[in-house]
Amino acid sequence: MKSKNSINFMIGGPAGTGVASVGLLFARCLQRSGLYVFGTNDYPSLIKGGHNIYAISAREEPIYSLCGKPDILIALDKKTIEIRSGELSSGAALIYDANRIADAQALAGRQDIIYMGVPLTEMATKAGGEIMFNTVALGTAAGIVGVEFGVIESLMGRIWSKKGPKIVDANISAAKSGYDFTSKLKKSGFAKRIAKKKVDRKMLFMNGNEAAVAGAIAAGCKFVAEYPMSPSSAILHLMAGHERDYGIIVKQTEDEIAAANMIAGAAFAGARAMTATSGGGFSLMVEALGMMGIMEVPCVIFNSQRAGPSTGLPTYTDQSDLKFSLYASQGEFPRIVIAPGDVTECYVESFNAFNLAEMLQTPAIVLLDKYLSESSQTVEDFRSLGLKVERGMVLDDEELSDLSGPFKRYECTASGISPRCFPGQKNGMHVCSSYEHDETGFTSEDGKNRTAQIDKRARKMSNVPEEMIAPTFYGAERDSAEILMVCWGSTKGPAREALRMLQEKGASARLMHIRYASPFPAKTVLDELNGAKRAIIIEGNSEAQMRSHILEKTKYYIEETLLRYDARPFTPDEIASKVQEVLSKKGR
Amino acid sequence: MTTLAELNSGHMPTWCPGCGDFAILSAIKGALVKLGIPPHETVIVSGIGCGSKMPHFIRTYGFEGLHGRALPPAQAIHLANHSLTVIAIGGDGDGYGIGMGHFIHAMRRNMDLTYIVQNNEIYGLTTGQTSPTTKKGTKTKSTPYGAIDTEVNPILLSLASGATFVARGFAGDIPHLTELIAKGIAHRGTAHIDVFQPCVTWRKDLPYELYKSKIYRLEDEGHDHSDFGAALKKAMETERWPIGLFYQVQKPTYADEIPFIKDKPLVKQDISNIDISKYLEEFA
Repeated sequence: MKSKNSINFMIGGPAGTGVASVGLLFARCLQRSGLYVFGTNDYPSLIKGGHNIYAISAREEPIYSLCGKPDILIALDKKTIEIRSGELSSGAALIYDANRIADAQALAGRQDIIYMGVPLTEMATKAGGEIMFNTVALGTAAGIVGVEFGVIESLMGRIWSKKGPKIVDANISAAKSGYDFTSKLKKSGFAKRIAKKKVDRKMLFMNGNEAAVAGAIAAGCKFVAEYPMSPSSAILHLMAGHERDYGIIVKQTEDEIAAANMIAGAAFAGARAMTATSGGGFSLMVEALGMMGIMEVPCVIFNSQRAGPSTGLPTYTDQSDLKFSLYASQGEFPRIVIAPGDVTECYVESFNAFNLAEMLQTPAIVLLDKYLSESSQTVEDFRSLGLKVERGMVLDDEELSDLSGPFKRYECTASGISPRCFPGQKNGMHVCSSYEHDETGFTSEDGKNRTAQIDKRARKMSNVPEEMIAPTFYGAERDSAEILMVCWGSTKGPAREALRMLQEKGASARLMHIRYASPFPAKTVLDELNGAKRAIIIEGNSEAQMRSHILEKTKYYIEETLLRYDARPFTPDEIASKVQEVLSKKGR
Repeated sequence: MTTLAELNSGHMPTWCPGCGDFAILSAIKGALVKLGIPPHETVIVSGIGCGSKMPHFIRTYGFEGLHGRALPPAQAIHLANHSLTVIAIGGDGDGYGIGMGHFIHAMRRNMDLTYIVQNNEIYGLTTGQTSPTTKKGTKTKSTPYGAIDTEVNPILLSLASGATFVARGFAGDIPHLTELIAKGIAHRGTAHIDVFQPCVTWRKDLPYELYKSKIYRLEDEGHDHSDFGAALKKAMETERWPIGLFYQVQKPTYADEIPFIKDKPLVKQDISNIDISKYLEEFA
């Protein structure tokens, strides 16, 4: 049962025809009309040509992934009609350029959709330029579903303001002509309409990368050293764009090795520091990760996973770097690994990563993926969350002056966490070394000291309360659930939608979403699994990496899996189908 | 007033007796005393190698990182707190081999730091393999039939990369080296000082006497260190080995182009209550 006031939309075309910008604009129009929106893109690794799409699902209640088939498709080229028509719902509208495409039905091969040939190129040219044919189409799409034109006008004025008033006005004019054209389409039979709703809370439309940056800035990050790599590059651009607003030094480095080694230096000097990359870049940072571990310097590394291995599919998604993140680098040392599941969590866990890294004085890896990084969601304003910067055990000048003898940067305390100070502070001099060291930081090969330092570093991880890292639960209560669905990272969105679908079908399912891989909430996870009638783990990799991790940490082996590794995100449908299949099996 | 005694870390260096690194350590301490730089405002940043153990033998803040990776953290430490005196140090393998990429890029950024290379034309700590500055044809543990690669010219490289202070010193002349390091630290920009550092264990074929016979001081022969062309020429000399200041020019530093650290180092800026409203505007 679909929510009445809802719509699914898709726009497709070659790279360079404004697919994403028009798609994004339409998404924001829908949000301005009072709907919750989810938008995502799909594009190959090239600059011009190919086949790109932007897809949207919107409805009155919060929405967590694409839900269902497109009701509208704007096809900016023939290829889009050929590739995507099969995905459309019955009665969907296919908007295409009547000036360029003669027989859309022949290309689409469907009798049950509504073909809307619109003279896009002609109207765009009249409005000022052929290039705006995508905007004309946007106007038509908005017109047939009943988005108010004023919404489009004001959004274009705001979002595209950097293009200058001339271009903005031309685009508004182009969109208007497309919008007005819908009067010619009244008899088309297209039935989908949305009703404008009043929105009283301040809502944002952001993707994972944008939210992660928000969290980092709010957490007081002051130093970014980064090398561009899809799908993380936007993090560099966003940070650089705001460096003067917030006094953040942003350095594009010569390579990822420099980036990782720089942030270690910056952190040693007392600045909150981060980098962002994807799998291949993280591979280059591996040696530095261990250095951060033994030096006990706090750094935050965002890895937005692409489908690997190696260069893999740079613009497609995967969840296959979990084990890599947990075990990267030689030797043994503690590291924090967090995988946020939605845009709000990208903000929260980015912020938390900075706090935790400084509290435990160890590196933190925040695992995103292309799907989460680049999918936008309607979210509540983050400022209401009230998170606070906490810097851990940093000594001030007065505390340092009380010291007699050399400063023990690596003192073997009960908690494992040692006092920290920064260059420039009197009495605090020490060497921060990648060699094994004694309590003062001096190189040491002594066996007893070595054992003590390994233990000290390891026990730092026990300082994190389980409440902070516990999984989140959705759906049925433990006692009434017929099945426990387990997932991590961005699978959360499709899994939540699947839960909704299952509830509508009368199946009682519970969802456990794990955010913290390290430290790991073993007790909560084991309790939950032990109390479940059946369990299934859903993840985007071929080796069921989180299942292995759970097994290692709790000795519990989850039999049923749903794995997807075609470099695409899950759909709610396939998750719901699989869960129903498992439920229909006899026995446990 | 910084004293030599203050700079004593209390740890005996682990270098071989006669190693050129003792002289370099002495010269660095001498330079800091001469300039009156407080030890707690000094950071020595090294990579890995015999010479990279330097931070432990001088009582300042120290960062002993990864092999070939002294310059990236040195630059970051400088940017994080540009009121500090940052000295990056490492061997020729560390700096011109594995670290070559970072070296070229660091030279072109002109950040206000000093980079001292302990150039002994061999890999010492790993017991005697060829290094980027080992002359072509030299027999080493890894090149028993003679090194095939043509040796790197570090002075030429840093000049070509845009370094604004390029010099060479010699561990066998501590007063000269001390002066050079003091000048390099005082120089407003990146100072590259390559130091001939005899290795008494693995390069017995390059003793102090040989260096002394080949070395001459640039300043003794009227070299104009503001003349880039002259510096390039001197850098290409092979018959004799010039030491001293090859080239110096005043240019804006990297930090000069970061307006928001002009009045306060990055680490001194308050991060307790950041308002992200401005950032969120474009997503509203």
